[in-house]
Amino acid sequence: MRKIWLVVKREYLTRVRTKGFVLSTVGVPLFCVGIFAISLALATRKADHQLKISILDNLGGFAPQILLGLNEKLPDGRPRFQLVKAWDRPASESMAREELTKQVRNGQLDGFLEVPKGILNGDEATLHTGNTNDFQTARTLGRAVSNAVIGRRLSDRGVHIDNLNEVMHGVELTLVKVTKTGESEETGQSILVQVSIVMILYITLVVYGMITMRSVLEEKTSRIVEILASSIKPTYLLTGKIVGVAGVAMTQYLIWTGTATFVSAYGAAVGSAFRPGATAPSFHLPAAYLVYSLLYFLVGYFLYASLYAALGSMVSSEEDLQQVQMPVTLILVACMVLFPIIQRAPNSPLAVALTMIPFTSPILMVCRITVQTPPFWQIALSLAICVATTVGVIQVSAKIYRVGILMYGKRPSLVELLRWLRYT
Amino acid sequence: MEAIAVEHVTKCFDSVVAVSDLSLHIEQGAVFGLLGPNGAGKTTSLRMIMHILVPDEGAIQVLGQPASDRTQDLIGYLPEERGLYARMKVREVLVFLAALKGLSEAEASVRVHEWLERLGLAAWSEKKINDLSKGMQQKAQFIAAVIHRPPLLILDEPFAGLDPVNATLIKDIMLELREQGSTIILSTHRMEQVEMMCDAICLINHGRSVLAGDLRAIKKSYGKNTVRIEYTGDDNFLDLPDLVEKLNHFGAVVEAKLRPGADPQEILKAAVARGVRLTRFELVEPPLHDIFIEKVSEAHA
Repeated sequence: MRKIWLVVKREYLTRVRTKGFVLSTVGVPLFCVGIFAISLALATRKADHQLKISILDNLGGFAPQILLGLNEKLPDGRPRFQLVKAWDRPASESMAREELTKQVRNGQLDGFLEVPKGILNGDEATLHTGNTNDFQTARTLGRAVSNAVIGRRLSDRGVHIDNLNEVMHGVELTLVKVTKTGESEETGQSILVQVSIVMILYITLVVYGMITMRSVLEEKTSRIVEILASSIKPTYLLTGKIVGVAGVAMTQYLIWTGTATFVSAYGAAVGSAFRPGATAPSFHLPAAYLVYSLLYFLVGYFLYASLYAALGSMVSSEEDLQQVQMPVTLILVACMVLFPIIQRAPNSPLAVALTMIPFTSPILMVCRITVQTPPFWQIALSLAICVATTVGVIQVSAKIYRVGILMYGKRPSLVELLRWLRYT
Repeated sequence: MEAIAVEHVTKCFDSVVAVSDLSLHIEQGAVFGLLGPNGAGKTTSLRMIMHILVPDEGAIQVLGQPASDRTQDLIGYLPEERGLYARMKVREVLVFLAALKGLSEAEASVRVHEWLERLGLAAWSEKKINDLSKGMQQKAQFIAAVIHRPPLLILDEPFAGLDPVNATLIKDIMLELREQGSTIILSTHRMEQVEMMCDAICLINHGRSVLAGDLRAIKKSYGKNTVRIEYTGDDNFLDLPDLVEKLNHFGAVVEAKLRPGADPQEILKAAVARGVRLTRFELVEPPLHDIFIEKVSEAHA
């Protein structure tokens, strides 16, 4: 036990004192928040340049109505859409289309809307443009044409409305999340929490798993492992190493959760100081999320770290390491890919299955808990399966490790690996 | 009590037999040479003595106890492949390794300081291992092997890469430890070192012991059948196929192995007759070098 403790201590101290640790402690949360903030900012960004458009109206009389729907203004007060030409009932549709297409091509126009003759009978309007990826603009234009068509249909039936936009103004949905303990208004915050927790889990599992793997390989390539093996049982060495790195991870987690708690408390206080009486926009992070995250991180870490450690002991070079670690890392990447499935339907059979499979449950169960907390027995069962698997994997890994650390040269084939398991 | 007793030990890796029915007995306080060509099974044997590997058959006793985790602390080891934690400080690595061998960290710190001082590395104690020259790293590694004053010291090529000054320093420490009662197992390919330092040897080939026992007795059993000659002049006076079985030229020195029953006096006569000036003429036991080659090639034949 004393020897394990010595290994734990060395592993912990040499890692916590590195610049890498400080950088990642500060960097990972900033990265998560940053990515979210950037994608949020990009999605809701106000346009900042004018779009020159023309309208090719084959039926006639639509341009003014459409323009009513394009009254969006740029931040500097200029209109967002600048109408270059409204071409009402051209002599030749195809020639007009050709002319306007040429203008789009040489940059005089950003695009033109074509209203077909049969638009009132269900024919589709067309937007000819160089950039078909600007969905927001396309949606605005589409709504404007659509409103104009609805207005025309109404007036054809004798209903005259001056400003259709006022009538067509829609209703926004406010999302209220119902949980066991009460209700809270959804302001996008819970998605932020979900994404952050899952990202942090994923990043830490991969990073700390790889740190363990590199640490094993480093001892092997530096050959110090021979001295270590003459002083301590390989199983103890492996245990000490994994626990030591876990300590580093826990330290980082403590710093992160501490900061999160502090920010939420402090942020609310500042809010109420500036706007007394107003409900402070509190950053609400349920304690249960943190507890479950920590729990699943620990189990997941021991599972993956022992796998990664076995991989590290199998090879003798960094190049071989890249190859053998791929399958394990891919499982973790798969969790990130499957994450939206859980978000959309947290109680579907697929989601339940994924949160029971031990290799995906550490990340996906936490995700499920943050989306919609499942019954406790499911959490308990998934944890139990994961812990049992981890115990088994650690035993197999220790056997591979014990043989692998003294083997140099070609990396073992699967058959050789199976033979290693039988060595005493 | 013997320092090491290896009894009929066999170790296989898959179909490869690394060590086969090997028995070794090493007296306490001896310097024991473990010799053998590359791949003979030396490292596997040493690893079994250190309980890094467990024999498939046979038993190993270290200082009267069966080899186990507990006997590991009684052994100090300098592996042939050197290496320490490259990015750790010299002092920290040594304290860690000493503590792993059972010293308290306080005691380890004191001893690390003393040893660094003694081997001229005191100024480097807070430097990273990476910043040390190869020779310095080697000395640091030697400290790791001896710091816990092990009753049994296993040194694999301890002088490789050391300049004569440092080699002497290490040799003196080895002898000093021996004075204090430590047993030393020396594994090396340098036969002259074995001849100068070892009391007993075991020569392993293909995992089996082919020659073992007291070094003086082994050499004596071959008899004084070799003439060592230093001279100036023409060397064809040694062209005496009736007397000389084999000639070994070392440049300045020639060693001539005599045929059984040949009289060395005849060689002396031949030299004088040709007018060669002799500066040395010595009747000696065969060098270990020759015994090694003979034994190993015997096995190949």
